[in-house]
Amino acid sequence: MTDNSFVVNRRTVLAGVGSLPLVAALGKPAIAQGAAGDVPLGMVLPFSGATGSYGPAMKQAAELVISKVNGAGGILGGRQVKLFIEDSETSATASVAASKKLLEVNKVELVGGFWGSPEALAAKPIILAANKVQMLSCAANAVTEGDTKGLIYRLQAKSSQWGPAGAKVMDKIGAKKVTVLAQQNPFIVAMVEPFKEEMKKIGGEVLDIVMYNPDQASYRAEVEKAFGPEPDAVFVLPLLTDMVSISKEIFRGGFNSKVVSLGTGADAEGKFLQAVGPEVAEGIYHLQPAPPIDSPSYARFVKDMGAPEGAVFLFAGNAWDQMCITVLAMEHAKTQEAAVWTKSIREVCNPPGEAVDDIVEALKMVREGKSINFNGAGCTCDFDEKGDSLNRSFYVQLIKDGKNTPFGVVS
Amino acid sequence: MIAYLVTIAILVCVAALVGLALNLQWGQAGLVNFGVVGFVAIGAYATALLAPHLGWFPAMLIAGAVSAALSAGLALLSIRLEENYLAIVTIGFGEVVRLAILNEGWLTYGALGVADIPRPFAALGQMIGGDTVFIAFALALVAVVFVLLEAMARSPFGRVLRAIRDDATVTSALGKNVFALRVRAFAVGGAVMGTAGALHAFYLTYIDPSQFTPIVTAYAFMAVIAGGRGSNVGLLIGACSIMALLEGTRFLKDFVTVIDGVQLSALRLGLIGAGIVLLLILRPQGLAPESKRRAADLLPDDKASA
Repeated sequence: MTDNSFVVNRRTVLAGVGSLPLVAALGKPAIAQGAAGDVPLGMVLPFSGATGSYGPAMKQAAELVISKVNGAGGILGGRQVKLFIEDSETSATASVAASKKLLEVNKVELVGGFWGSPEALAAKPIILAANKVQMLSCAANAVTEGDTKGLIYRLQAKSSQWGPAGAKVMDKIGAKKVTVLAQQNPFIVAMVEPFKEEMKKIGGEVLDIVMYNPDQASYRAEVEKAFGPEPDAVFVLPLLTDMVSISKEIFRGGFNSKVVSLGTGADAEGKFLQAVGPEVAEGIYHLQPAPPIDSPSYARFVKDMGAPEGAVFLFAGNAWDQMCITVLAMEHAKTQEAAVWTKSIREVCNPPGEAVDDIVEALKMVREGKSINFNGAGCTCDFDEKGDSLNRSFYVQLIKDGKNTPFGVVS
Repeated sequence: MIAYLVTIAILVCVAALVGLALNLQWGQAGLVNFGVVGFVAIGAYATALLAPHLGWFPAMLIAGAVSAALSAGLALLSIRLEENYLAIVTIGFGEVVRLAILNEGWLTYGALGVADIPRPFAALGQMIGGDTVFIAFALALVAVVFVLLEAMARSPFGRVLRAIRDDATVTSALGKNVFALRVRAFAVGGAVMGTAGALHAFYLTYIDPSQFTPIVTAYAFMAVIAGGRGSNVGLLIGACSIMALLEGTRFLKDFVTVIDGVQLSALRLGLIGAGIVLLLILRPQGLAPESKRRAADLLPDDKASA
């Protein structure tokens, strides 16, 4: 059937290709245990794909916490925390493989991160099956619905909280007749109905809802449809890449309607302004769950991140808080066992207790047996019984002269 | 570690099913199908929507049937087109399916996706724990499909498909109905892709439109090319190698600490590309190419052909 050269060739190539995973496999046991006694934590963050631009800042924030904690002597009697980060590739399938790798190979106690709802929903069953904690930075209501075994915590506001907040901004700027221009994505779709209801309550009217698909080549038709009826304002619900195109389209069209958007698209931790420049961005309102802007620890966090004063970090703040809450709960429960320390999360995060926002300080207080109420960089870190965050207020900014300027807070 | 490898093995099973189907359509019958992901998505959604009502087995059968029917329909419409044009039509089909799933919320729950898809043998799986039962199910499914497709490849049907691929005019001149045969090949491939979609939905238990991007099609083509076009055994090796490349590179950053994770995730996709380029340079015919069948193999008693 075959001649000799074929056989030799096949072996060489098979050996070559085969050795790739082998090389990886050889070193695995060493990684799995890490240095003796390290506490392994994991995160699944987007570094590639459509939402890849959000990952790096989250990674930076999470690593900042870990280095602070380790620098101050670690947790659980001097053990170091080790953070493993995987790329979600903005894909639910990749996020399942990544979560499984973290759980089984790195033996992590927490799988955090989860920028996108599809990634979180797909990984949820396997994290729950392993009895580990899942922390989210995504908004779709479904993730904390059903049986969560008390293991899921959301650091982000839910979709159904974003919608009404948008309507309140409309009320503030005096917009009664509005249209909605929204991306088809689970985070956003779920906020449209609550927005409509709230608009009705405040006596406004939603003239039209225009949905568009992610990754479209052009948004001209949708923009024209949404701005065509000349509403008082348009509620634009985008992510970063599409908002960049849409805002240019709005600018080119010369429409008079006001634009109210989300921080996910029209701020994205400052990336939006960098991408479109001041002229195009002028006059856009955007809202996002409010970080504790006035607290000194938030100012420190912004400085540590190397950002200009007053910058609003939505997702990086969430990543920061996920790490803080986890190490605090572990210290409080005196164990790294996820099923146990998950019960300590509300103890260290919710009132009553002495308010504290510095992680090193908070760890010290927990060790001294004090009752604390930790406040994070992205939110106050208080959770209801489903693991959703409580007391969400939204921070509204207006882009003026190429800068985000504070406009107000709605809740 | 073992549970992680099991996850990877299940993902390989899904990729292998998709690859086997493409190998039939493109590898053996020479029909370029760039809309693979559309058929997988249809299978996955049919399963996700029907399984809670009908049970997993009827849902999976219907998923295969729906996907096969749509394949046949698309083939009837477009298969007389030349190779490149067929490619364009199928790309379009894949996109249409994705957009329909994303926007027809009344049927597919749109961008929110379908959650809580029941798994086959869920009770048994719960009892034993882990994914043991599921991996057995997935492997069995791949085995059944492999045996069926391999039997088909060795049958007269498979032979005539290869003949069409190599020269449709000659085959037609020999009295074969090229058109009907192509439609059949396309439909069988579609059925297998639908089944792959069902397996994907069963495993993830949550599906949404973002899981069905053209990258699925690209991986299927990579698996077929890496394995050797036309060879089912090669396809299985190809699917494993591609997944080994995809997942193996995940471990790089645990070793290489010089490069930071953000750069590495970009580098990782580059490495996968480089790996495939290398493979094509070193082994253009694939890892286990289709064996050349001679007349002598079919007619062992015919001394004259030796």
